[in-house]
Amino acid sequence: MLNPTDRTGPSHAVVERPGPYCTVQDLGRRSGRRAGLAPGGAMDQRAFLWANRLLGNDPGDAALEVTLGGFVLRFDAETSIAVTGADCGATLDGVGTGAWRTIRVRPGQMLRLSYSATGMRAYLAFPGGLETDRAFGSASSVARDGLPGLLGRPLLEGEQLRWLAPDRTLPNRHLPAHLVPSASPGAALEVPLIPGYEWPEFSDADRDRVFAAEWTVDPTSDRTAIRLTGPALTSGPRTLDSTPLVDGTVQVTGDSRPLVFMRDRPTIGGYPKLGGTDPIVLDALAQSRPGTPVRFVPADPEAIRLAIARRESFFEIL
Amino acid sequence: MITFPGPVSALVTLPVAPDRDGIARVLSLERLAQESLPGVRATIPAFNRLLVEGSPSEWDPGEVESALEAAARSALRASPTSPGPPTTASAATVSLPVCYDPDLAPDLEELAATAGLATGEVARLHSSTTYLVLATGFAPGFAYLGDVDARIATPRRPAPRARVPRGAVGIADRRTGVYPAEGPGGWRLIGRVPTAFFEDAAERIARFTPGGSVEFRPIARSDYEAEC
Repeated sequence: MLNPTDRTGPSHAVVERPGPYCTVQDLGRRSGRRAGLAPGGAMDQRAFLWANRLLGNDPGDAALEVTLGGFVLRFDAETSIAVTGADCGATLDGVGTGAWRTIRVRPGQMLRLSYSATGMRAYLAFPGGLETDRAFGSASSVARDGLPGLLGRPLLEGEQLRWLAPDRTLPNRHLPAHLVPSASPGAALEVPLIPGYEWPEFSDADRDRVFAAEWTVDPTSDRTAIRLTGPALTSGPRTLDSTPLVDGTVQVTGDSRPLVFMRDRPTIGGYPKLGGTDPIVLDALAQSRPGTPVRFVPADPEAIRLAIARRESFFEIL
Repeated sequence: MITFPGPVSALVTLPVAPDRDGIARVLSLERLAQESLPGVRATIPAFNRLLVEGSPSEWDPGEVESALEAAARSALRASPTSPGPPTTASAATVSLPVCYDPDLAPDLEELAATAGLATGEVARLHSSTTYLVLATGFAPGFAYLGDVDARIATPRRPAPRARVPRGAVGIADRRTGVYPAEGPGGWRLIGRVPTAFFEDAAERIARFTPGGSVEFRPIARSDYEAEC
């Protein structure tokens, strides 16, 4: 199950430049959680899901997550691809393509994603999804889990890509402008906070600080967690045994600052927890660059649950 | 006690100690939760707790709470378990060889001195207990094992080491565990399992399961070198 697949034919594209961090991702793995495996999966799931939807793929087909651009791909096949997520000024043989759309490519053409001007992560989807190894039900790459091959490392220069439906022909499609997510520059990103079981054990002053402060996304943020800088939160319970985490658990770590757990998070954690958040806001956090202001706002868990159910129904996630 | 750590998840804390009987009750609660709740996507048992993650279209917080309360009552009511793991998946005892050579165990001599024991006695005490897997996590293939003999229980280091080698055996309070991959870690290192035991990813990740049993067999330095 964990052994690299024997590639079955010629490549459909070759990675000329992988950029700072480019990985294969899908919607992550539900199995293996009990053994300590991270969920993994696309950091910005909305952008990932739209990339697959534009190509008529299944919602969880494997695609590329390109972090901060700097990425060049040379095509060896005629095909259609989809580009969504961070605005990296995509060009095909030097001509701007736009994003949140499908792009027709011919053999020999070069797709280039520049260093992203806004956002952090762009998604490239291919017809039928990438042909790649899977483990514990997913093709997602999680570096911390030490899985072999592309399941545990970023793409390298010269990496050959193949996808599963190279002959699929489809009309060009794009996402209507009103559906393309946009961040208003300078405005604080609002992160709903569902106070958790340890919330009452923080001091009144710390609980006030959580909602009053303007936090900022720290440059050490990564696929494991979005780390925030702001006032120190020094109260909270000291527990002996770690407790299970969920996507978006907000934990206060040893440096007294909160973090929001993302896709490559551990499955249990021993630091004090403020609570949980809306899993859908993780998409916006995934695109927030260092320095982005963040505010915690009170949340309605039932409204959040209904919104997740609507998204899963719309994108046909089982 | 039932709390909701996210919009589609519930965390049950059983009023039990994380010992063989307590873990068996948490695993029994896990089975009951999977049977009685629709759309359960993942469960994580850890110490005296169980996390249940559900499907957003099938999650009714009120129903979830009453179903989990009933399951918890039932798991607590069952007669104490006989010694031995309760599930077939954890039936086999995992046995790992450990070399307790101070060259491979940077905290062994200090721990022995603090405890007023010879290093050989620390090794003997550590390897003469059959441990219970209380939880997995931290990293894939890492298991929290308990309980360590009180004479060698030691708090973790004030500052974690940036790099702990693969196979290092550590103690933190009454817990012990084996680092399955190189990485940061704050446990006191008292021995080393040969790296050959961690090379296969599938084997490394699936080795421990909550409720399972683990034994350590002391091996000589020459046997350790031969198995690396």
